[in-house]
Amino acid sequence: MIEVNEFQELTYQERIDSLRETKQRITQEKQQIIGSMDHDDWGLILPPPDRREIVQTMSASGMPITDALIAGFKVKPNHPSGGFFGPKAVGENFRALLEIHPVYIDPVSSLAGGYMANFMSYRKPHWNPDFDFGFLHVDQKRYQLGTGIGAAQHFCHDLSIGFELGWGGLLEKIRHYHDVQQAEEKDPEERTQKMDFYDGLESVVLGMQDWIRRTSEEARKSSLSEANPQRRENLEAIADINTRLVNEPPKTFREACQWMNWYQMAARMYNGNGALGRMDTLLQPYYQRDIDLGILDDEEAIFHIACFLVRNTDYIQLGGPDENGSDTTNHLSFLILEAAHRLRIPANVGVCVGDHTNPDLLRRGVEIMFEDKCGVPKFLGIDRTTEGFMKNGYEAELARTRAYSGCHWSAIPGREYTLNDCVKVNFGRVFEVALKEMMADTTIEPSIARLYELYAKHLQHAVDTIAKGLDYHLEHYHQVFPELFLDLLCYGPIEKGLDASHGGVEFYNLCVDGSALATVADSFAALEQRVEKEKRMSWQEIAQHLENNWKGPDGEKARLMMKGISRYGSGNSPADGWALKLSQLFTDLVKEKPTPKGYNMIPGLFSWANTIPMGKHLGATPNGRRAGEPISHGANPDPGYRKDGAPTAMAVAIASVQPAYGNTAPMQIELDPGITKDEGGVDHVADLIKTHFDLGGTQINLNIMDAAQVLEAHKDPSKYPDLVVRVTGFSAYFASLSPEFRQLVVNRILTEG
Amino acid sequence: MDGVVFSIQRFSIHDGPGIRTTVFFKGCTLHCFWCHNPEGIRPKPDIQFFPERCIACNECVKACTHGATTLVNGIRVYDRSKCIVCGKCVETCYSGARILTGKHMTVDDVMSEVMQDRAFYETSGGGITLSGGEPIMQPDFARAVLERSKAEGISTAIETAGNVPWEFEERVLPFTDLIMMDIKHMDSAKHRWATGVPNERVLSTARHFAMTDKPIIFRIPVIPTVNDTVEEVGAIGSYIRDLIELRNQNGGDGDHTISLELLPFHKLAGDKYRSLDMDYRAKDLKIPTKAHMAELAEAAKTHQIEVRSR
Ligand code: SF4
Ligand code: SF4
Repeated sequence: MIEVNEFQELTYQERIDSLRETKQRITQEKQQIIGSMDHDDWGLILPPPDRREIVQTMSASGMPITDALIAGFKVKPNHPSGGFFGPKAVGENFRALLEIHPVYIDPVSSLAGGYMANFMSYRKPHWNPDFDFGFLHVDQKRYQLGTGIGAAQHFCHDLSIGFELGWGGLLEKIRHYHDVQQAEEKDPEERTQKMDFYDGLESVVLGMQDWIRRTSEEARKSSLSEANPQRRENLEAIADINTRLVNEPPKTFREACQWMNWYQMAARMYNGNGALGRMDTLLQPYYQRDIDLGILDDEEAIFHIACFLVRNTDYIQLGGPDENGSDTTNHLSFLILEAAHRLRIPANVGVCVGDHTNPDLLRRGVEIMFEDKCGVPKFLGIDRTTEGFMKNGYEAELARTRAYSGCHWSAIPGREYTLNDCVKVNFGRVFEVALKEMMADTTIEPSIARLYELYAKHLQHAVDTIAKGLDYHLEHYHQVFPELFLDLLCYGPIEKGLDASHGGVEFYNLCVDGSALATVADSFAALEQRVEKEKRMSWQEIAQHLENNWKGPDGEKARLMMKGISRYGSGNSPADGWALKLSQLFTDLVKEKPTPKGYNMIPGLFSWANTIPMGKHLGATPNGRRAGEPISHGANPDPGYRKDGAPTAMAVAIASVQPAYGNTAPMQIELDPGITKDEGGVDHVADLIKTHFDLGGTQINLNIMDAAQVLEAHKDPSKYPDLVVRVTGFSAYFASLSPEFRQLVVNRILTEG
Repeated sequence: MDGVVFSIQRFSIHDGPGIRTTVFFKGCTLHCFWCHNPEGIRPKPDIQFFPERCIACNECVKACTHGATTLVNGIRVYDRSKCIVCGKCVETCYSGARILTGKHMTVDDVMSEVMQDRAFYETSGGGITLSGGEPIMQPDFARAVLERSKAEGISTAIETAGNVPWEFEERVLPFTDLIMMDIKHMDSAKHRWATGVPNERVLSTARHFAMTDKPIIFRIPVIPTVNDTVEEVGAIGSYIRDLIELRNQNGGDGDHTISLELLPFHKLAGDKYRSLDMDYRAKDLKIPTKAHMAELAEAAKTHQIEVRSR
């Protein structure tokens, strides 16, 4: 704990340490009050105790969560259901929330602001019941689909629009196009909708300006009573900067960081947005200008970035090609990495690895992994995702602009709507439906060939259901909960008066992810080997074991027998072949045709944190998995896939099952290399990463960990409050996770399954 | 051509440069009492039994037609002396309690594993390492695997204890890029006490290696009670200096192609000894500290040789 003597001046590093300690205190408080948080840390701060209210709600990704709200704030419904829907009502309610939002200023930080409530948690119900998609319910339930209907954000804005205009400029732009559309839109109904939309956008900006203005006033007030000269000066600067930023665009590096801080916090607050994109490129002009003027040095730049990262766990890309293919890695890329390194908190910084990307970035990234063991940064196979995206019919120049901006995904900033990470097809459930159908039909002899045929039929059906759901979402979402915040920084929505989810932007490439690949590949392989080839069991017997969840006499023996085959990931095994075939089938079905309304879909393999809930509702599977246990993670083999747990085996397997259309099938990997950074560890890990991408891999979520320490922490997490792990696409404090989630991480470490 | 292999380890980063695949050959001419891979000592396949995994299904009893696994008063009894290691029981033991360690593998079998990580060898400067046991106890099989690897453009290394006829080592040398060789003690009597064999042939092999132009990493497994003193490690260091001189006299560059690595004793092999009904005589030894390892490395360095230590 850093004791701040009244008059003492702190170095930048001491201030960063203080930010970390404050963050840890806030986190511990959150753990006590909210309980387990099986999601991205978000950087949320609890409202002051006297203004706090605890509720059960739903996250932006559709997971049930406990949340803290600002007490006393009531939304204004505009619908008999008690909900508020459509741009005008949503904008007004968000403005009202911003206007009562408490001011937060950490006098140690160079940037003001902290967000304390998720607007999403006030939305009850989430969906406008007037839009009835009951016609999809039967199939959605049958295949247990994550449909994406009603899902928010999960695409990427372009911060440079905001940097250029500032809040004042945005307001002018909205008012300008309001008048243009009022005059030009001939369809009266469309016109009314557009006017509502502009009202909504305007409310959001006015709310922001109020929040920033109140903060600047508060900073001014506190500066007057602040005795410590360094802090006083800091508070004065915060007051000056924010007075200006109410209207003006940012000029200096610090102002750009402050502007970004406001926007990103509020976008997170609005609907959970965590997209950011190419931070190094976006900030470069401000950095260069201030360096040239001699008013900034690297230490100070690192500090401002750290002040930003402590408030925002946004998804950031470092390096990678510009539209012409030249590497964008710059000095700031390294400073951003350095800031994350000095903070040692959950952060989602992605480092590009590619043939033309500066290799020092990868090296420095791996060094930091070894030093901090926080799962930061993560690694992006930028050449593979760019090539893959081109296969959708896009030019290289455009494909290169797609920027990493979420858990496992990228989007073209400001120009593409994607619903990334929101749509999930649980292969496990599709398999279960197929197997049950086959066993119920007494007229045919069960066989692997028949089972696969049925699986393909049901997968087709599931994908069709998804496609219809996506069309439904795109048709109605703007009338439910439009993307008012991200719309501000996109090309098109303000100009056209259309929400990004409804034709406002240029490109629509909807993400459709498969999950439980290993669960199903191993199930097919186990049935093929044990039942069909070796005939150790009949189809009826295995069906009975699944029905009984492996209980009863011989149940455990049967389970181990099915589990004991060479699994996906072991290399050259039939199960490896099945994984390939299943991924190919899924890719073909998703790519076969667009949605009925003509929207492009892009396949990927990723289950995010859904492995637990998806597994909960799935019966026992022939790979030896018990009913209710988690499904396999994304494209990963199940833990215990090989006796030597060789990461190269995993890297080869996952590289081979890539759908390869620009969306990812990440490799989640935990390494306890048993060697230190100085003994060549960095080289080995960097080579592993690079080769995975050479082989076709698209993204790596890596933990370099001291396995013994994590196992220790699993027993009593409170002993390791600062232990950070990369859970999946996001990183989190280990102690913030539920026991189930911690177990998931621990299982991945134990190679003997 | 086939041979007996007991394990193939991918992403092997402790057995030579870069990312490697290590192929463990079964059978050894030494019997070091601390051996980290006791399942590699006997040349033939073995049955390993891990009782904690057993689910008492008695399938092994049903499978065994040789009277080696029987039920005595309802309890399974395994008599290793009657076991012909046919592997029938292992096939029905799904819990993994019984494992057949050591498989007859063809060169193709081995290569199909090795080739999977080819891309990693290229990026990292790695390759294949033959280890064991003593890989050179199966010289023709070793040679065939190495030859095929070279033909595939894969860099090769062997880990040998050197206690085999020189003529065996000679057979593999043309296809070997890097030699890693253990030297455990300079005193022949103590060497015999620790490993079961005297050291004359080992040292002679080392001299023969020094007369070639192949890079050599000599390795000392640092074992308390065997060779963990400054004097003992220093003596090996001095010997290696002589070998460097020998290579230099032969027109080679001994100083840059011969080095030494110190590997600390560890105790992870306890379970394996139990599973083979073998006595683990090293179980009470203490693991050398980092500081002590550093001190030993210093002792070796006084002989002007390149030393690495873990
Ligand atoms: S390996 Fe063969 S002989 Fe030995 S116990 Fe098993 S079944 Fe019996
Ligand atoms: S077959 Fe395996 S699990 Fe069954 S009793 Fe024998 S050793 Fe135990």
